[in-house]
Parts: sequence; C-alpha cells; structure tokens
Amino acid sequence: MNTPYLRIEGLTKRFGASTAVDAVNLDVAAGELLVLLGPSGCGKTTTLRMIAGFVEASEGRILLQGEDYSGLPPHRREMGMVFQSYALFPHMTVAANVTFGLRMRKLPKAEIAARLTETLDMVRLAPMADRYPRQLSGGQQQRVALARALAIRPKLLLLDEPLSNLDANLRQQVAREIRGLQRKAGLTALMVTHDQDEAMMMADRLVVMSEGAVQQVGTQEELYERPANPFVARFIGHSNLIKGTLREGAELAIPGGAIRLAAPYAGGGEATLAIRPERARLCAADDPAARIVAEVEDATYVGAHIEVLLTLPNGERVILHDPTDGGAARRLHPGDRAGIAWDAASERLFDAAGAPLPARAPIPA
Amino acid sequence: MVGAGTAAGAIGDARRAPRFSAAAFLVRLLIALGVLVMATPLVMAAYISLFRDAVVVFPPSGYSVAWYARILEFPRFGEALGTSLRIAALATLGSLALGIPASLALVRHRFVGRGVLNVLLLSPLTVPGVVIGLAVYVATVETEIATEVPLIGSDLVLVLAHLLITVPWVVRLCVANLVGLDRSVEEAAANLGAPPLSVLFRVTLPMMRQGIIAASLFAFIVSFENIEMTLFLIAPGQTTLPISVLQYLEYRIDPLVAAVVMVQTFVIAGLLLLLDRYVKLSRIV
Repeated sequence: MNTPYLRIEGLTKRFGASTAVDAVNLDVAAGELLVLLGPSGCGKTTTLRMIAGFVEASEGRILLQGEDYSGLPPHRREMGMVFQSYALFPHMTVAANVTFGLRMRKLPKAEIAARLTETLDMVRLAPMADRYPRQLSGGQQQRVALARALAIRPKLLLLDEPLSNLDANLRQQVAREIRGLQRKAGLTALMVTHDQDEAMMMADRLVVMSEGAVQQVGTQEELYERPANPFVARFIGHSNLIKGTLREGAELAIPGGAIRLAAPYAGGGEATLAIRPERARLCAADDPAARIVAEVEDATYVGAHIEVLLTLPNGERVILHDPTDGGAARRLHPGDRAGIAWDAASERLFDAAGAPLPARAPIPA
Repeated sequence: MVGAGTAAGAIGDARRAPRFSAAAFLVRLLIALGVLVMATPLVMAAYISLFRDAVVVFPPSGYSVAWYARILEFPRFGEALGTSLRIAALATLGSLALGIPASLALVRHRFVGRGVLNVLLLSPLTVPGVVIGLAVYVATVETEIATEVPLIGSDLVLVLAHLLITVPWVVRLCVANLVGLDRSVEEAAANLGAPPLSVLFRVTLPMMRQGIIAASLFAFIVSFENIEMTLFLIAPGQTTLPISVLQYLEYRIDPLVAAVVMVQTFVIAGLLLLLDRYVKLSRIV
C-alpha cells in the first residue's frame, strides 16, 4: 500500500467537556498544499497546532513519512511554521531571524551564510538583512517569516492564516508568491484560513471543517460542484438552501407551493435543495421552464451581475445573480412575479441527515 | 489672523479652539498644581541647602555652598550611602532572581496554588512597612537566640527584608510586560528548533528587557528609600542613608541635611538619565 507523506489518524482534541477537534483523518501527498478551511472556531487552527506540537492531542496520531510524531516536542519536529502575527523576533535583525533555526541546528558558519543569502534572495529581501522587523512593512515582515520557515528546509511547511494581516491588494500577490516558493522547493504544506478566496487560490486540495469535524476533502471543483452536505454548499461559494419534503422523487413541497426538480430522485421525506445564485436564471412566471415562481423583493445592479432578491411562496428569501448583458432582471421591479429555472447539473439535493441524494438515473453525458 | 478663510486656517482654528475651553484650562491648571506640589519639597531642600546660617531661619542672613563641602566631615553619611547602595543592589538582583521566574510561572503556566502564589507575592505591598519591620525584627532576634549567630544589622537580613518589598514590584512589572508579549514568538523559536531553555534565554528574556529594566529601577528605588521597615533592622555602623539623615535630624536641623538630600537626589537622577539613554523610561513606567 502506498503510504502518504503525511497521515493524520483520528486526531482529537478535547478541552474539558467540549471537543475542539473531532477524529480528523487526512492524507497529504508529498509536494501538496492542503488548505484547512472553515469558520472561526471550527478546529482548523487547533489541528495545525497539534501537528506543530504546540497543542497535545487527546487522541490520534500524526505520521510524517511513516514516523509517529505524537508526543514529540515542537523543537524536534522539523516543521517550519508561518504565524498569523508573523511572530518575528523583535530584538533580532532580519538576518538573525532567518538564521535562527540554522544556528539552533549548529550548522557550520559557511553553510548558514550560504543559506541566508539563498533564502533572502528567494523572498527578495537581501537589501533588508540588517534591518529590524519594526522597520519593515507588513508585506516584508511576512516574507521574513516565510524565509525563516523555509531556511530550515522543513519537512512540512505550516501556514496559519498567512495573508490575514495584509492589505487586500497585496494578498493575491503574496498568495501567488507563497505558492510559487512552495512549489519550487517541493515542500509539502498545510495552510489554515477562514478566507475562501485565499483557499481556492492556493490549494491543491481543500479540507472544509466545521465544529471540529472534517465536512469534505477535495479539489476546488469537487467542493464547488459536488458539495458533500448543505454546510459545504453554503460555505464554498454561496448556495440558497431550501428545505422541503421530497414528493415522488420529482418535486420538493414547501409551504405554499412546490418546486419542480430538474432530476428525478429515489425516495422521499425531508430534503434540502441547494441552488447557487449564479447557476439559476430568471424567466417569465408563465415560462414552462420555471421550476418555481417567486416574488421579486429587490434587484440591485452590482456590475458583474444583477443581484436579485426573491421571496418564495414559503416566505424564504433566495438570491440570484442575473447576467447584466440584457437579462430579464433589469426590467424587474419589487412586487413582480418571476420564474426561476435551472438544469439538473446545477441542482443538489440533500436528505434529512445532510447526505447528498443521488439522482435516480444518471444523466447521459 | 493666521490663514483665515483657507483650509489650513480652518484646521488650525479647529485645533486651537479647545485651548480656550474651560475644561482644557482646568486640566492645565491641575497639571501645573500637580507639578508644583511635587517640585516644592525638592526646590525647598535645594534652597535651604544654600542657607549660610547653622540654624534654619527665614529669611536667611546669606547664602553659601559651604554645607556641601562639610558633608565630607561626616563620614557616616558616606558610609550610609555605601550601605544603601550595596543593600539596594543586592535586593534588586535578588528580587529579579525570584521575581522573573515567578512571573513566568504566573503568566505562562496554570498550576495548583497559582492564585495563592499570586496573592502571596503581591501581599507585602498591602502590609504597612512598620509591621513588616517589626515582624522581621522579632523573627531575626528569635533566630539569633536559637542559633547564636549574630544577624541584626547584617547585610543578609537587610537584603532578605528588602526582598519582601522589592519582589512584589518586580513581579507586578514583569507580569504586566509578559502579558503584552506575543506568545507565538516563543512558539516560533521552538518551531525553529530551539529547546525550552534556548527559547527562554534567546527570545523570552530579551523580549522582556523593558519590563526587567523597569522592574530593576523600581526595586532599587523602593529599597534605597525605605525607612520604616529598615529602621528595625539596622545596627551601629550598619545604617542606610535615609536613616542616617533621620538620626542626624534628631539632634540638629541645619542645611547640611538638605545638602545631603540634594546629593542623593542628584545621584539617583544621574542614574535615571543614564538609564534613559538605553531605555525610554517614559515608555515603561
């Protein structure tokens, strides 16, 4: 059997009666950048801190190259971490910061000097070597933090919200830079973020976490197109979630009406329909394509699209993105009735437990 | 009129406006009063130290700097200053040795008895110095009787007693300093391969520098100027400067004492100025 570079088995952290991280299992391939994504308090940071050794796991194992790291103190783990606050040593110059890990390893002086030059060149900070962290901009400090972690040639690169303290216009650039360096060095990396765009932009694969548990692991496309449960559907991108009762596998009954489903489903009972705002379109109320008719509450032109807020017969609101290039929404006014249409590929139905309901007959390609 | 009608003028006017408000005036008045109240004793001491008469009368019959020269005729002031400096230096070092590890434990660790330790370390601040002095005196005498080792007037007892009043300051200042430090900096050091002791000496303590300097300063001054507790623990030939001044005043009131006080003030002020070159005192105290 093929052993993954990093394997996390049943990793659990309990604080008193509450469980911060609940039996997390992950496999990370060598050279991969895996992003842990979730709202604050979902356990992603605690997971990362357990891997770094700052937090002791209540249960579970961390296997790096097949070796069990559980119980190993942080300074013996050979992992390079970039902290959210950068955590630079304020009393040391950039050069001293970057070489700290090398000096701890008691490398020969020549080797330390060579690696310092190499690493500073990598992050384009060579002219700043003698400055102190407080004399640098946020973006430069961030690069020092990265250089310091890279200099030790870590077995694993850990990134804790590395972009959250940067200006919005710097973020994309730094994200690409980190990604480039990680790829070039062939490093396996784990990153934690609550920012979906950041995660989408940098990850090879993503892990969506909520309430201490892994909700879904997959590529950007897998998460977006085939969310495993309503939480992922709403958290990745955005989805309108409509609860109702599945009748005869063909329609979802909601108070005051019914939604005609695009695909046929097996079974019945309580179900949740997920529809993305950009995957549905508006049509006339009497258009046969309309799956449900709703009342327009508001339509706002936001440039890329028109954001249309509609009220369903059950009183719930849904949001739709109508294209601005001559879409119907521009002629819509509050109080108008409009049909909402979508096709089978854009529809996702979950059962009462939150598991996706498969369409009964696979749609021919 | 400055820049009237221009934007800059408008801003200037807006900034200047509060200067004329009653509240701002009151604040300035209170600050001035405060400075006056604090400066008066010092200014008076400096003034009196220049009186020519051997008995302090007002107005003086003339002025002279002769009292400063006469300090040298009273070697016990010099000896007392030496004792004070020695005790204060030892008490400062001792309180750092106890206080820094204690504050690290209090801030960084959760352990049984943490609350008790915290209260215990700060409690001497709440007990009157006379009470501590008497208690230490009684305990020392009892120990002397039991062990037959002469203790009263020894550096050891004075330093130990002074630790009681200096350690709380060191703990208080170091705790305040540590609480403000980013824990992740220490984690970063560990992450880069530094074992716990290296983290302490290469990262934690250097980052506490300002707190430690402030703590040393307070410990030194608290020890140096203490009278009420020290009064119980001195012996002939082993007297601190404030007490020798007090003893002198019991027999005579002449400008010599004022001159001694001024010399002491200049010594301390000189130390502070020297220190200020390395650490901005206004930022830490």
